[in-house]
Amino acid sequence: MATDNQNKSSYRVYLFVFFSVLLLLMTLWIVWDDEFGLRPWKKYQKEFKSLKHEQLQKEYDKAQSDFRKSGDAQTLARLEAQLKKAKDLFNSSEVQQKYKKLSGQWADVHESAARNQKELQTNRGQYLETEYYFTKTQKPEYKKKMDELQKRIDAITAKGAAMQKQEEALKAALVPFTSGIADIEAEIEKMKSPLEEKKERIGTSDKVPVEIKQVYIRDIDLADRCQSCHIGIDGSKQISTKQPFTRHPASFVFLKNHDPEKFGCTFCHRGQGRATTSVQKAHGNVKHWEEPMLEGDMTQTSCLKCHGDVKHLRGAEYIAQSTELIKKYGCYSCHKIPGYDSIGDVGPVLTEVGTKVNYSWAINWLLDPKNYFATARMPKFFFTQDEAESIADYLFSMSGTTRHDVDYSTETPDEKLVEQGKTLWSQARCNLCHITNGKGGNNVKVYAPDLSKVGSKVNKEWLFRWIKNPNAYFPGTKMPRFRFTDEEIKALVEYIVSEYTDDEASPKYTTPVEIKSESIKKGKDLIVKYGCYGCHKLQGMESMGQIAPSLVSQGVTFLKADEMREKIGTELSSIGSKPVDMLDFGKLKKSISNDRLSYIKQKLRDPRGYRLGLRMPNFRLTESEINGLAAVLYGYTDNNVPSRFMVPSRQELDKMAGVQSYKFTGDFAKIIEDVKCTNCHSIKGIGADYAPDLSLAGSKLQESWIRKFLANPDVIRPLLQQMPKLGLTGGAAPAKITMPKFNLGIQKVEDTNRSDVDVIINYFQQELVTTDIPKEIPVITTLTPEDQIAKGKELYDQKGCRSCHQVGTDGGALGPNLSNVGNRLNPGFIFRHLENARKFKPDIVEPNYGFSERERIYLTNYLMTLKLNAK
Amino acid sequence: MNNPTDIKERIKKNLVWKSIFRRDYRNTVRDRAQAIFGNIFLHLHPVQVREGAVKLRFTWGMGGITFFAFIILVITGVVLMFYYHPSIEQAYSDIKDLEFQVPFGVILRNLHRWGAHFMVIVVMIHMFRVFMTGSYKAPRQFNWGIGVILLVLTFLLSFTGYLTPWDQLGFWAITVGTNMGAATPLLGYQGPFSEFLHITPFNDVRFALLGGSRVAGNALLRAYIWHCVAIPLVSVILMFVHFWRVRKDGGISKPQK
Repeated sequence: MATDNQNKSSYRVYLFVFFSVLLLLMTLWIVWDDEFGLRPWKKYQKEFKSLKHEQLQKEYDKAQSDFRKSGDAQTLARLEAQLKKAKDLFNSSEVQQKYKKLSGQWADVHESAARNQKELQTNRGQYLETEYYFTKTQKPEYKKKMDELQKRIDAITAKGAAMQKQEEALKAALVPFTSGIADIEAEIEKMKSPLEEKKERIGTSDKVPVEIKQVYIRDIDLADRCQSCHIGIDGSKQISTKQPFTRHPASFVFLKNHDPEKFGCTFCHRGQGRATTSVQKAHGNVKHWEEPMLEGDMTQTSCLKCHGDVKHLRGAEYIAQSTELIKKYGCYSCHKIPGYDSIGDVGPVLTEVGTKVNYSWAINWLLDPKNYFATARMPKFFFTQDEAESIADYLFSMSGTTRHDVDYSTETPDEKLVEQGKTLWSQARCNLCHITNGKGGNNVKVYAPDLSKVGSKVNKEWLFRWIKNPNAYFPGTKMPRFRFTDEEIKALVEYIVSEYTDDEASPKYTTPVEIKSESIKKGKDLIVKYGCYGCHKLQGMESMGQIAPSLVSQGVTFLKADEMREKIGTELSSIGSKPVDMLDFGKLKKSISNDRLSYIKQKLRDPRGYRLGLRMPNFRLTESEINGLAAVLYGYTDNNVPSRFMVPSRQELDKMAGVQSYKFTGDFAKIIEDVKCTNCHSIKGIGADYAPDLSLAGSKLQESWIRKFLANPDVIRPLLQQMPKLGLTGGAAPAKITMPKFNLGIQKVEDTNRSDVDVIINYFQQELVTTDIPKEIPVITTLTPEDQIAKGKELYDQKGCRSCHQVGTDGGALGPNLSNVGNRLNPGFIFRHLENARKFKPDIVEPNYGFSERERIYLTNYLMTLKLNAK
Repeated sequence: MNNPTDIKERIKKNLVWKSIFRRDYRNTVRDRAQAIFGNIFLHLHPVQVREGAVKLRFTWGMGGITFFAFIILVITGVVLMFYYHPSIEQAYSDIKDLEFQVPFGVILRNLHRWGAHFMVIVVMIHMFRVFMTGSYKAPRQFNWGIGVILLVLTFLLSFTGYLTPWDQLGFWAITVGTNMGAATPLLGYQGPFSEFLHITPFNDVRFALLGGSRVAGNALLRAYIWHCVAIPLVSVILMFVHFWRVRKDGGISKPQK
């Protein structure tokens, strides 16, 4: 019985010991894990510190060896020898005797002066005390005492002054004994100090504590600990190219303008900034963390959080280029996207399309636009033949036409007319915008249609009407109205229709066929279902997609038209922060990665792939277009961004300030609307950056030059052909780019008797000027004009202007050609331009030479002599 | 003077010692009983326990283990409160900070979380045992009732604590849970006759639980107050009653002879 119990209790003791030890070990493990296991950044920081130490040590060693090599070491040795000699001399008994005697005297005087000073203070205190009693009691005895004290104070002060003089004299006598030594010591110190400084830097860097480095931004509750591992991200020097120790790439743009202490890292890069326990967690590449870290170009998506306009933003080139895709494909036509509310229709007006195109062409186009030409922007809707016919039937019946085709392939064209048309075609530079047989189309942003097969698409009558006045058929089109005569248009039409035909076209309805009313109804339903009205203006559907019917029926009147717009697609204004739970992966839930970016990309790649019944058409984007668009969409978040971070665009600023955006006025506005100058030129912020900015054309250009140029762009313009900027904006290889001949000046503007050119010149001189640019430049009377010109030429040669500018056949091609600048530019403009080129063109590359006023006058006078006289 | 017994005597004669320990302890039945009577922490405990009552095979010790889990939860819970703000802006970040930044934060939070799961499981096993051994029968009917209330309170503690991290899991759990309230007859706006009784989403039990009609900041604050103050307070009071009744009803139930 007893042994039984004993056995039992000893067994219990072992169990107890076992669990106690286990508990102890676990506790130790917890402590270890908390100190090291969960804090991997400690290791990184230590490694970084040793790397930095190494680098600084290397620098120090190099400086030391340089010092030794450079002969400074010898100087130092010499100085040290001198110092020793000087000290020896000073320490010699003779000198020491003198020195000690003098310094003993000085010490005596100094001491008695101090005593004197003390006495003075005591007396002053007594004086003040007495004065106090006197003012209180007005007893004469106090007054008497005051006088006494004052006398004593004066005496002491005088004594003190004498002592001070004596002291100073003694001190001055002492100086020569040690001054030589001090000078040498100072020199030695000066030589050694750069080295010492380097050594000190090693010490300071070693002393930096290993600790969490955190950025905290209170108002958005952002806590980033990224720099605990990325410790060298904001350093002034690259310590190591190894991650996580590198510096931020291009930090002179990114970190300089976005101080990490104020912006943190995850504000732009996303990821999980609070995490510190592993790389995956910190970079947000873990389950349930919806914001994986952004890298490379993709990071630019965050620019959209704050910057209203990324067009000319340094470092945002990728996103700027990608936002163009939104405009190109007109995503905003079906989706609500911030900043794209008031932009016009992407597609052409279809109200009278039946009078324009062949029925067979329309069917082919509806079935697959890219099949007709590769640059087509219209997406594929996957219509069946039947559906496509119904839609075409609706459109044709609304235009009042039947199913009909026109076939010119059997006719023989009038050779003479064709020849004339060809000349007109090249004079009008149609190829500047339109592609034909793979050529042309440099001004990509107007998205002009490919005309290679247009002869089998449209009929001659329509083409004639179109060229005569494009605005009549399609108000707001980008096609300019060339001032052709009817005969010229006829020739042009003949040329286009005979030259650009589709050999594969198979016109089925050369004899028109009536349209059935069921088909029309079906077509209308399809159009409503797929929202064609989003991009095209359609007859009978003008208000669709413009005003939300539900709001109208509720009597909402306080909203603006843009705000009431009801769009067919999902709103995209916060797609970049939409919770992943809310994205419908449908059939692809298991086959693609369930994150937001993959969702967006897959949607763009195959819009109807997630489930049946989706309506979005397929734009057949390239993979790089998909990435670009996804980057833009990813940037539309509803994260709260403090207003101090926001950088509104120019338009937004104007809106806030209540400034009306610039509007063209009068006859000039009519010309702009007609000739579409802003397709290429930018004027006061309106228009494209394809051709030179004309905002200050009135101040800049000479009237006679403008006249000549507008009358015949070919003759003068080639001077500027080499200007590389033009080729760059188009993105394509720089082709021969010249301004089209619009035949301005032939016709009069309606209701007036002024010619187009007069109106343009008048507007330039009235509106597109600045008082900043003087009409005339200051005159120097002390030198003859010839001497001034000579001096200007001297400056031109001396400053190396010719390395960029060309005069005649001599010079570089980076800057504009100056051979005819005397005819083209106003002297006032040149004068101001030489002072500060960036004033009028902020992104210009021309350096600022800091010319004096006189130099600028000489140079201007010289440049004004550069003229090509047209023969 | 330096004799150890001397020092011992001196300490024992000290007023502070006497005020704490009152009297000498001799290992007698009387003194052992006195130690239990005179100690606030042990006074609920019976002075004597029958041998059969401590048989692990019969009681499984589940009631005691539940109480042990509760103590752990109170201690870790109080420490966690130092690091937590019940606001929707900060709550989730605070949990993340516990994971990444607070010293021993991981073990602290996990002790609380797993401890909570443990308590719920253990309390259910406890109830199962009480039921299977018939320990709810007279004279313990009242204490069974208290026990049932304590079980519900344990569930509520678990439920309210679910929302506090303000993550998707908790958010939807509370959404579903409170929607069940909304569908309860006479209490929720989705229950039968709710229109007749003028119950709307803005005056039903769901509204009361959430402090609004949506799971938002107020819901979080309410969950937090219920979780950290109100329910623990009620639970502690009921636990005392529960333990008191165990004694008054004849001690821990034991196998019948």
